[in-house]
Amino acid sequence: MPSELFVVGVSWRSAPVSVREKLAFHDEELEGHLKKLVTHELIDEAVILSTCNRVEIYGCTSKGSPASAVAQAAAETRAFISHSRGFPAEKLSDVLFEHLEEDAIRHIFRVASALDSMVVGESQILGQLKSAFGASSNYQSLGPVLGRCMERAFSVAKRVRTETGISRGAANVSSVAVELAKRVFGELDGKSVLVVGAGKMSALAARHLRADGAALIRVTNRSPEKAERLADEIDGIACAWQDLEIELSKADVIITSTGSREPVLTKKIMKQAMKRRRYKPCFIMDIAVPRDVESAVGKLEGVYLFDMDDLERLVSENLKERSREAESAFSLVEGEVRQFHQWMRQQHVVPTIRSLRSHFHEVAAAEVEKALRNLEKANTEHERQEAMQRLGKGIANKLLHAPTTVLKQASDAETLADSVSQLFSLDSQDESEERSKASALNQAGLAKTAVPSKKA
Amino acid sequence: MAAEVVTTPPQVAFYFAMISYVVASVLHLSSLAQVPAWVKHAARWAVVIAFIAHGVDIGWRGVEQVHPATSVREALGFLSWVLVGAYLVLSRRKGLSVLGAFVAPVALVVLATARLSPSGNAVTGLSSLGRLHIASATVGVAVFCLATVVSVIYLMQERNLKSKNFDGVLFRSSASLETLDRLSARLVSIGFPIFTISMMLGGVWVAQREQGFGRIEYPIAGVTWLAFAALMLGRSLRGLQGRRAALLTLLGFGAAMLVLALYFLRRSVGV
Repeated sequence: MPSELFVVGVSWRSAPVSVREKLAFHDEELEGHLKKLVTHELIDEAVILSTCNRVEIYGCTSKGSPASAVAQAAAETRAFISHSRGFPAEKLSDVLFEHLEEDAIRHIFRVASALDSMVVGESQILGQLKSAFGASSNYQSLGPVLGRCMERAFSVAKRVRTETGISRGAANVSSVAVELAKRVFGELDGKSVLVVGAGKMSALAARHLRADGAALIRVTNRSPEKAERLADEIDGIACAWQDLEIELSKADVIITSTGSREPVLTKKIMKQAMKRRRYKPCFIMDIAVPRDVESAVGKLEGVYLFDMDDLERLVSENLKERSREAESAFSLVEGEVRQFHQWMRQQHVVPTIRSLRSHFHEVAAAEVEKALRNLEKANTEHERQEAMQRLGKGIANKLLHAPTTVLKQASDAETLADSVSQLFSLDSQDESEERSKASALNQAGLAKTAVPSKKA
Repeated sequence: MAAEVVTTPPQVAFYFAMISYVVASVLHLSSLAQVPAWVKHAARWAVVIAFIAHGVDIGWRGVEQVHPATSVREALGFLSWVLVGAYLVLSRRKGLSVLGAFVAPVALVVLATARLSPSGNAVTGLSSLGRLHIASATVGVAVFCLATVVSVIYLMQERNLKSKNFDGVLFRSSASLETLDRLSARLVSIGFPIFTISMMLGGVWVAQREQGFGRIEYPIAGVTWLAFAALMLGRSLRGLQGRRAALLTLLGFGAAMLVLALYFLRRSVGV
């Protein structure tokens, strides 16, 4: 029976987080739910993908006629979600989406390639999809079709990532700050960071810098307690506010987020600091509002100053860039969808081709056996020739009997006749007759032209 | 004192190298915008092909007794070949393939100038010392040229960052400022001893020929040496780096180019 894929679920596009969190599956629940899903009569294979942005079930069915079976399998999955999550079916229908057959393949490929993600090109989804695939593999709810589709989706995602710029550029303020710092320093290994002020955003940015290799993080704040607390939080060292000017000269990266109404880092202070550090590059990220750093500081030699507006502008530039790249990613995915769908269609006809071959071989073998017996009895050359002719006719008649009967009795005989003509590359009778007439005329012409040459 | 110049018409390899440099320049310059990855690969391969063809041309001319150290013309052609070779070594590092957008057009222009300009008079009394002087000066200046290209990219990228021009050319494709600064410093530290030896050899050669040191090229060559010497000293003793170091590199290379241009004019036009 032919297999078809389907997808049923909710995503950030279709449902708010209040709904998504109710429908989410926890890791420890997966085994039970996956096993239950594949016990449904119409569902052969299943994968459950549950992340903060989507809860989706990918399935495969090979029961019944494809058109009805796949729709029924999707309906069963909808009922399963409603029942297993205790979510009213009527409310679910408002937020649930469904993709069948080729659309399902397209959806899976797009999800894997992060083209359906809230932040296009983000890298988390591929890992989450691989985990979902691993869980289904472990709990034996994967088979040859959905399994192959998922594997294909992973390689499509890899192609999209390497062949398009969809993942280029950071997509949030903290990551963008790291990206900019890297444009100054290359790698952040061994760079020292000074956090001025103890805001939440600076802690987040400092963590990002730490993750990228920043060696030493110092924290300074007017309130020493707050500085100590933040230093503990981010595994840094608190230092005295009075030492700010000395600390500034030691820091390669400075993050400021104080609540001060007046600029904390003035041009005069930073000029001294830069002189002390012999104009070695210094990256300053001012994420305070109102700003902590005088804008004239940005003009000092070796100072690279960025404020919140700059960071947000770069995020938006990066996202625009990703959207532009997404267009080529979509067409790449489309090509892959067509190829995979083609492969699935081939899988549909493989059993028929196999049966056809085996039937032909059986008929031929039976007729050859009969012919061999006749040949043993044959005494003359004429009888042997007759036996061979009977063999040919016998095979042809046996093979033609069933299709001829069906063709004669079929209600849609005309369509069937066209298919037969196409399958066996048959010309219509009229064309055949015309061809025989033409060939007869040609032969006559040749005969006429041959006569004078003979005379000559 | 004029002497007969050995002239050989341009061979197939020369034209092939020129076409490849044109293709490489176009591809590299278009790679500064967001282009598919294959364009960048094609650009690199075009440079590789140009480098091989250029090498074959130099080899062929060597067989024809026209060595790279025969004249300023030949030296210029050789200079662009060394420049491209050095680029091919460096460009394997992340963010440095962008150098190709500068190196390929420079190589194209230098090679075309060297080979398609009037041949003029050959250098007279070209002893082994003279050949060594020309060869080492050529290699030294080629390395300085690459350091200058790196410094130009540094200045462009610095400008992008200072003016927060996130759409600027090179913003996304260039290596970091620190990488560029370090690379420029390393190239100057390679080129400087070679250039110093070349200056010493040149001094001895000129003294041997008893022509005196009155030519304008000599003090300008001294400016080149002084600029790079100051850069080396500044970097090691005063922590000189970044923008100032890049500008000093440009100054030194500008002086070197002026010397080459004067030599070139003298030989080609007979000034």
